[in-house]
Amino acid sequence: MVEALLRRIGATLATAVLATGVVFLLIRAVPGDAIGEMLGQSAGDPAAEAALRAFFGLDRPVWSQYLSWAGDVLQGDLGTSMRQGLPVWGIVTDAFLVTLQIGLVTLLVAILVGVPLGLAAGSRPGGAMDMLVEGFTLVSLSAPVFWTGMVLLILADAWLGWAPPLVYTSPEISLSDNLESILLPVLALGLLQAGAYAQFTRQQTAALLRQDFVRAATARGLPARVIFGRHVLRNIAIPLVTYAGLILVQILGGVVVVETLFAIPGLGRTLLAAIQGRDYPVLQGALLLTVGVALMVNLLVDLAYALIDPRVRGA
Amino acid sequence: MRRGRIEWLLGGGLVVLFLAISIAPGLFAGSPDAVAVTRRLEAPSAEFWFGTDETGRDVYARVVHGAGSTLGVVATAIALAGVLGGSLGALAGFAGRLPDLALSRSADALLAFPPIILGVVLASTLGTGAGNLILALAIIYAPVFFRVARAAALMETGRAYVEAARTLGHGEWAVLTRHVARNVAPSVVLQCVILFPLALQIQAALGFLGLGVPPPSPDWGASLQESRNYLTVAPWLAIFPGLALLLAAMATSLLGRALQTAGR
Repeated sequence: MVEALLRRIGATLATAVLATGVVFLLIRAVPGDAIGEMLGQSAGDPAAEAALRAFFGLDRPVWSQYLSWAGDVLQGDLGTSMRQGLPVWGIVTDAFLVTLQIGLVTLLVAILVGVPLGLAAGSRPGGAMDMLVEGFTLVSLSAPVFWTGMVLLILADAWLGWAPPLVYTSPEISLSDNLESILLPVLALGLLQAGAYAQFTRQQTAALLRQDFVRAATARGLPARVIFGRHVLRNIAIPLVTYAGLILVQILGGVVVVETLFAIPGLGRTLLAAIQGRDYPVLQGALLLTVGVALMVNLLVDLAYALIDPRVRGA
Repeated sequence: MRRGRIEWLLGGGLVVLFLAISIAPGLFAGSPDAVAVTRRLEAPSAEFWFGTDETGRDVYARVVHGAGSTLGVVATAIALAGVLGGSLGALAGFAGRLPDLALSRSADALLAFPPIILGVVLASTLGTGAGNLILALAIIYAPVFFRVARAAALMETGRAYVEAARTLGHGEWAVLTRHVARNVAPSVVLQCVILFPLALQIQAALGFLGLGVPPPSPDWGASLQESRNYLTVAPWLAIFPGLALLLAAMATSLLGRALQTAGR
């Protein structure tokens, strides 16, 4: 168990190192860099360009830049934004908190809508409710999430005459304004992930109902309500909880486009702006955080499985 | 009607329809670039089924002509990813040890990124245009094919027929290409259908972010980006290209589900 655990953590770390290396190489391959734009009118002056390059360390070979960046990261220093002159850590974590709030509220919506739908559909496979839920998951998983957002904007205007403020308010300033500004993005993302949750819950429930112990319970004459509550719910609770981790990672990734549509200053928009402005330190920091969170959640999900379910431990 | 049959009929029918539209858009609609300046931003009518856009172009014609480029990019990218990831995966599962370790770690590193974020980075690195978009999408999905093919190859390599082929004196290369690869191929093909709707969403999102095929191409994602400024004035500009994306994704995921059930 301990050995498998250590191996798993080691593999995750190796993946993280490799992924950040890939990122480092990739973004330096992006045509054009920040220097030309920074110089503005004096662009083309080779002396000024060389001086700026040396200042940001861009004149050194990529591997040496990577090593010094990685060394700083290990000491908790993500560097300084080339554009804003602020520490990357602050920029990236501020943006991440915005995205995380949307992610967590979305997850809540997805669970509250998706799990009951999935349970209803899975408890009677092939029934009318199952067909309805099937249709819902199909549409919600097929619609591009930013398009769902656009349709919500159109409907809000046509039916309610309401246009959401396309300005983000932090919950510390005003919770009600904050909720108003994240309402439509959360709904758009929530509809998508509710579909995913409903599909997963349905599969789990339907598969469980086919198990021998459920048949045995039915044969013993236990009422369906008791079988459902005592046997089915208990058994699918674990996968449903761990699935939340995977869904959260998906939301944090998918939020990029939605943040652009609704002008939310989250991690996704920070990342896009950093790419457009060739702000390497911010881009590296944002990507490191994204990949780090994704790897960490995946690791935790695997660990949770191993802790709860002894059958997984040897694997 | 049985559930599987609905999936086949609806999914298959829609796929055939989208194929026809992609291959011969001229049969379904007029020119996507014809401009009627006096008829800007007109609501859907008998003459313009999906309305007109800000320069007076027919939205219906643009959606129809956008199918080929939108779906073509995704199909080519998936095929490329399948060939690339599939062959590397089969090789890794068959060869074992060092090549497997190196390839598997690289695939894991790419899979660590959420697909859309990897897409944004790759598309900005490579630049806009259909060819680069295909390449970016192929790099995103090749690791998925790699994993599927590797797992299948690992399973096949342990089978008795591989041992038999080796005993008969066939070279390693022959065993890989003639026996293992052929048995790995079906899972790779199934994966193509499963990944298509996901890749389509990423393609659309990149188009929406301005990182896909640039205007005036009638690409669906790019059309959605152009429609943003007219959301409340001319909602049809956003509704119809999005519906096309929705239906295309639905068609392929229905087909994927039907194939999966049939394979079991």
